Amino acid sequence: MTPTVLVVGESSGGRLAGASLEAAGTARRLAAGDGEVVGFLAGAGTGAAAAEFARYGVGRVRVVDDARFDAAPAAATAHAAAAAADAVGAKWVVLAGTTFGRDLLGRLATRWNAAAASGVTEVAGDAEGLTVRRPVFGGRATETRRLVGDRAAVALRPHAFPSPAEVPVALAIEAVGAPDIPAALFGPKRTAVETAGAGSGPGLADAAIVVSGGRGLRAPENFRLIDELAASLGAAVGASRAVTDAGWRPASLQVGQTGRAVSPQLYIAVGISGAIQHLVGMVSSRVIVAINSDASAPIFKVADYGIAGDLFEIVPALTAEVRRVRGI
Amino acid sequence: MEIVVCVKPVPESETRLRVSADGTSLDPEAVKFVLAGYDESAVEQALLLKESLPGSKVHAVSFGPAPRTEEVLRAAIALGCDQATWVEAPPGPAPDPVATGRALARPIFAMPHDLVLCGKQAGDDEAGLVAAVLGELLGVPDVGFVVDLRFDVPSGRLRFRRATEGGLELWEAPTPCVIGLQQAWNDPRTAKLPAILKSRRVAIAKVPYAPEDSSAPRSVAEKFELPPPRTGAAMIEYKTPAEAAAKLVRVLREEAKVFP
Ligand SMILES: Cc1cc2nc3c(=O)[nH]c(=O)nc-3n(C[C@H](O)[C@H](O)[C@H](O)COP(=O)(O)OP(=O)(O)OC[C@H]3O[C@@H](n4cnc5c(N)ncnc54)[C@H](O)[C@@H]3O)c2cc1C
Ligand SMILES: Nc1ncnc2c1ncn2[C@@H]1O[C@H](COP(=O)(O)O)[C@@H](O)[C@H]1O
Repeated sequence: MTPTVLVVGESSGGRLAGASLEAAGTARRLAAGDGEVVGFLAGAGTGAAAAEFARYGVGRVRVVDDARFDAAPAAATAHAAAAAADAVGAKWVVLAGTTFGRDLLGRLATRWNAAAASGVTEVAGDAEGLTVRRPVFGGRATETRRLVGDRAAVALRPHAFPSPAEVPVALAIEAVGAPDIPAALFGPKRTAVETAGAGSGPGLADAAIVVSGGRGLRAPENFRLIDELAASLGAAVGASRAVTDAGWRPASLQVGQTGRAVSPQLYIAVGISGAIQHLVGMVSSRVIVAINSDASAPIFKVADYGIAGDLFEIVPALTAEVRRVRGI
Repeated sequence: MEIVVCVKPVPESETRLRVSADGTSLDPEAVKFVLAGYDESAVEQALLLKESLPGSKVHAVSFGPAPRTEEVLRAAIALGCDQATWVEAPPGPAPDPVATGRALARPIFAMPHDLVLCGKQAGDDEAGLVAAVLGELLGVPDVGFVVDLRFDVPSGRLRFRRATEGGLELWEAPTPCVIGLQQAWNDPRTAKLPAILKSRRVAIAKVPYAPEDSSAPRSVAEKFELPPPRTGAAMIEYKTPAEAAAKLVRVLREEAKVFP
């Protein structure tokens, strides 16, 4: 018997986050057989997100239509999700390991008394529970964990799972009130969002492609070569610490041990030597490309494909080729 | 303000990883353990707050086996923390992050705590779970992925930014609160030699670890694997930049299947 699986959705701007669709697809796979998948959403105006759940095969969606959740920390949603999991008799909860999902998971696991794993890149279920694989040590190792006990909750690493195909089903919304949540959990409030700059493409953490530039670019004005290549690919821009320390680009774009860890489908490192502190932030990317004039640069040891050459020649040619192939 | 900062000993990032004999975890033999990267930020943040709010105290707490756990607590004291509490774990593989949060929550609950600071995630298990577990058990809110935390004295609220997929968000929160810190305002300070010497003599409070009952849901490590050594990049041969670009796009498309 496969159990009921609750998939906690995250809606941004009224739409279901892409990573939540990956979670929905994974939940459906885990419930395959005689299990049921139930979607869950909390916040105001989640109708469109619920409809999207149904477009991807999750027709039964439990909704707490309550604007208090919109600017509250994930902790509040975790309480509501735990109540929903109990109400529908779920044994497994699946969610997207975004910043919101990661904050939610520890709270949910404690409140709902479940085993938990975050940053999951593979998950399988059987009669005894869930088994997951997840990168650790900045992607330098992978661990397999068994979630023991009768309840388990997992946060999936964004992009590690395929986006599901559309399988429209009828939408049945179960609107419920918020459970009794301690007022303290609504204490912290988001007061404003400073977006990374309109039109600047996907955020670093959840981009499918990241193009990063390093000291090899020599001067801040040359960094536009990275911006242009990224724009042609619809990619996010990253940087080595040499670049952020020099103030060419903000610290928020730094990839590595003291910056962000990213694991896109494709990581292109341009003029980056490949210091270990940079590598720990990107080695778990699926495919790595390095462009560097020094054929013995350590970055080529971790890259899948390399071009030894002058970035000032290679990058413009690559941008032109990408634009040509993509017809832009 | 009474500030608690949770610090975890993790292998130095340059450590060569090796698999334990039973294949389920990292072999800790010959590994040098240091304060986790984000925890350094958390300590720095705690000390900045203490310096800006007269009468504040910083209490470092850690859960783990000897000798590394005591060492990181002494490192925290050398940096300027006032007190340290060590929840001593038995040697061997660590309990999972939820159990770790439970082990830390007990002593923290018993100490004054206006603010509990954790790292965003520990550099070894990268779970990012402990802060939220602590929040639930202490009955206070938690917010993770925090950068640039400040305390606004007139309103008595914490103000900070949160680094998310969509960009930076501005937040405020009352105390008590648990914060998962990604970055402090400043780069973490380093300890001065006299402070390091003095930290060796500071008494560390030791608290026994009460394991969970064995039926509690938990995650158990089954396998720890290192990736096959990367064979190095397949280098693209080319005569002109245009040829290099065309070849790269072709392999990304046809071989790696990652081209958009
Ligand atoms: C505690 C600590 C934490 C750190 N954290 C981070 C971190 O989070 N992220 C991070 O990135 N670093 C971090 N660092 C710094 C790291 O050690 C390196 O110094 C840094 O990554 C180097 O950046 P880079 O590769 O851009 O520069 P360099 O190492 O100077 O490399 C520049 C590269 O550009 C190539 N190049 C030059 N000209 C050209 C050209 N015309 N065409 C093509 N290639 C060219 C060169 O061959 C060289 O390989 C940290 C260091 C410490 C000590
Ligand atoms: N054993 C531990 N002792 C003290 N603090 C810990 C421990 N494990 C985790 N933490 C804290 O929780 C944060 C997140 O850890 P994790 O949830 O394991 O990724 C760390 O950065 C520490 O601040």
